[in-house]
Amino acid sequence: MSRTTPQESADVFGPDSILRRLVGQARWALPVVRATLLEAAHPQIGAALMEHSTFLTHPWRRLRNTATSARRILDPDPRVRDREVVRLNRLHARMSGTDAQGRPYDATDRDARAWVVATLFESTVTMCRLGGEVLDADAMRRLYDEHRTFLALIDGGSDRLPATLPEFWPYYDHVVEHRLENNEAVGVILYRLLADVPAPPALRARPELWVMGRSVAGPLATAIIVASLPESFSRRVALPDLPGARTLMRSTYLAAALATRYLPESLTRVETFMGLAGAGADPWASVRRQAGKAAALVRLLTPAAEDDGETVRSADRFFAEVLDQTGDGYLRWPDLAAMAREVATRLDLGEHDEERLFQAYAAWWRELQTALDGDGDGRVTRHEYAAAAASLPGSGLIKVADVLFDVTDADDDGAIDADEYHNLFRTAFQRDLADGGGTSYSRGAFVRQFVSFMSGQQHSSAYASLLSQA
Amino acid sequence: MGVVMAVPRHVACVMDGNGRWAALRSLPRTAGHEAAEAAVMDVIEAARSSGVTWLSLYAFSTENWRRPAVEVDVLMRLVRRAIRKHAPVLHARGVRCRFLGMSDPRIPAPLVRDVADLMTLTRDNRRMTLTVAFDHGGRRDIVEAARSLIRSALPADQVTEASFAEHLPYSDTPDVDLVIRTSGEQRISNFMLWQVAYAEWIFPQVLWPDFRATHFRECLDAYRRRRRRFGDVGRTATTTGEGPR
Repeated sequence: MSRTTPQESADVFGPDSILRRLVGQARWALPVVRATLLEAAHPQIGAALMEHSTFLTHPWRRLRNTATSARRILDPDPRVRDREVVRLNRLHARMSGTDAQGRPYDATDRDARAWVVATLFESTVTMCRLGGEVLDADAMRRLYDEHRTFLALIDGGSDRLPATLPEFWPYYDHVVEHRLENNEAVGVILYRLLADVPAPPALRARPELWVMGRSVAGPLATAIIVASLPESFSRRVALPDLPGARTLMRSTYLAAALATRYLPESLTRVETFMGLAGAGADPWASVRRQAGKAAALVRLLTPAAEDDGETVRSADRFFAEVLDQTGDGYLRWPDLAAMAREVATRLDLGEHDEERLFQAYAAWWRELQTALDGDGDGRVTRHEYAAAAASLPGSGLIKVADVLFDVTDADDDGAIDADEYHNLFRTAFQRDLADGGGTSYSRGAFVRQFVSFMSGQQHSSAYASLLSQA
Repeated sequence: MGVVMAVPRHVACVMDGNGRWAALRSLPRTAGHEAAEAAVMDVIEAARSSGVTWLSLYAFSTENWRRPAVEVDVLMRLVRRAIRKHAPVLHARGVRCRFLGMSDPRIPAPLVRDVADLMTLTRDNRRMTLTVAFDHGGRRDIVEAARSLIRSALPADQVTEASFAEHLPYSDTPDVDLVIRTSGEQRISNFMLWQVAYAEWIFPQVLWPDFRATHFRECLDAYRRRRRRFGDVGRTATTTGEGPR
């Protein structure tokens, strides 16, 4: 069988799917991060990541979205599954271009997609091996078939992956040895992402604590990932091989496996940790609450700085936290596309609404380019933005706000009620000091607040958490 | 009933007389505000130890923006300094702090942040709730509540006093039982208009910077005597203040 086609109605993974079980476990994060690194080394994927992905600036949001997406594709309900597949394909179809060396890349490239699934499979097998779990021949074959089914779902066919396991390993080794390269994306993940990873939303309130923990945990995480990579890849990329790193890596995988086996399931489920990355009501709510209180106390106890230059700083921070989504220091189309993508993901928009939203963002981008891109290099620098920020709110931005209102107002009653508001901002209505609060938002108030937030004139914690949450 | 009402549940203070206190000492008006801080802390402690569970302080009205810019500026700094200085103590004593008003963009951002931090820090405390009316106007609150009510599209004949009150800011605040306005001034000055509907009013002559725990307890005693007299003639506790003094 060389081609597995998704059946329309059935649960293609079967009720006792190994993959579905693994995806629900928090330890699956280990193979996912490892696989991401191997994917990034693929020329096509590395280029797309560097150009479009927000994983550097918003790694937690990215992780959360990835986990949600994987779970939807593995959902027994074919409607949930197919909807997510269509959405993913739309999302990736918007990502193509040429990389720094002028080579074209395309996020829907079929070989690249097969490679993504291949790294996930190989990393999952590695996780089981290092965790001391026995995968017998039958389980291994089933796991591989499930991965091929996964690929067939997102790509329409699985012929880019070898049909059988014995053929898979030579394919895998071949790609590792001949296709992968030591590109910018690999370096960024290994040495910048893990060293500078921002605090997850639950711990955002204690930045000083996070920075201290990160200075120890970042290098450790790098060492763990590096030590688990295939030897031939490490050699070609000249990755450091430090004494003890292997032991550390093995202990980590083993500890994760033991924790998953012996701790209560509720503790090692991925949902428990998703809460840390800022999604919904969860066991972390009280932790966040306590952390918020502790941080408030710390801020109140720290000697007050004299408060001049506040506005200058805040314009800079606004640029870095909200506008520059990809974190390259410039405002470019991928930044605005990332905002549109995040909104579309949160609201789970259908094709029509998503297209309208992207169109509106594209129109705003054209307007920004015309108005702000003084040197015509296709990107807006911080200085270009700061120089003209005051005169910004133009028709493009208002159009974005308008469409955002339309797509958020799911029941088309001309007002955004508490549920719709929650879908967009993941927080309850706040009695907003400026708008007097209430139980729903009119179009006028919504557009006004959005425009004044996006042009950096007025702070809004709701929008800030929507667009700057890491 | 006399036992239940012995201590008012909700006491509000209109902190009047800072400027006069300073003028009597030939000091700038701002010195009066500075001296007010001690009185505030004393009253908070006195209220807490006498079993008052809700205390409201009128710190700054929407009309106060008309004062000289320098005085307003100094006042904002004083409030910020006081918040930072006393936050840990307030928190340790189980006081939940809330700020009523605080919507004017002229309020400096650092003050807004500290206020937000203080509210975050103390939001789970339950021993006493301290509401600081800052940049507050009673009418404005009622107008805001009306707006919010209209937005909720409740049919007109279903609007009751209770359902209207739910739209006021901090709608869990109970009615004020006792208002103390220092310095002998006898006006309402647009203070928590809705909540003071059934309140007893006491107007001690002392200026706010001199107001101390003993004065506060005297006021509570006076309140208790009024209530007891009502009980004697068999009236209900919610009658308005036309009773004998």
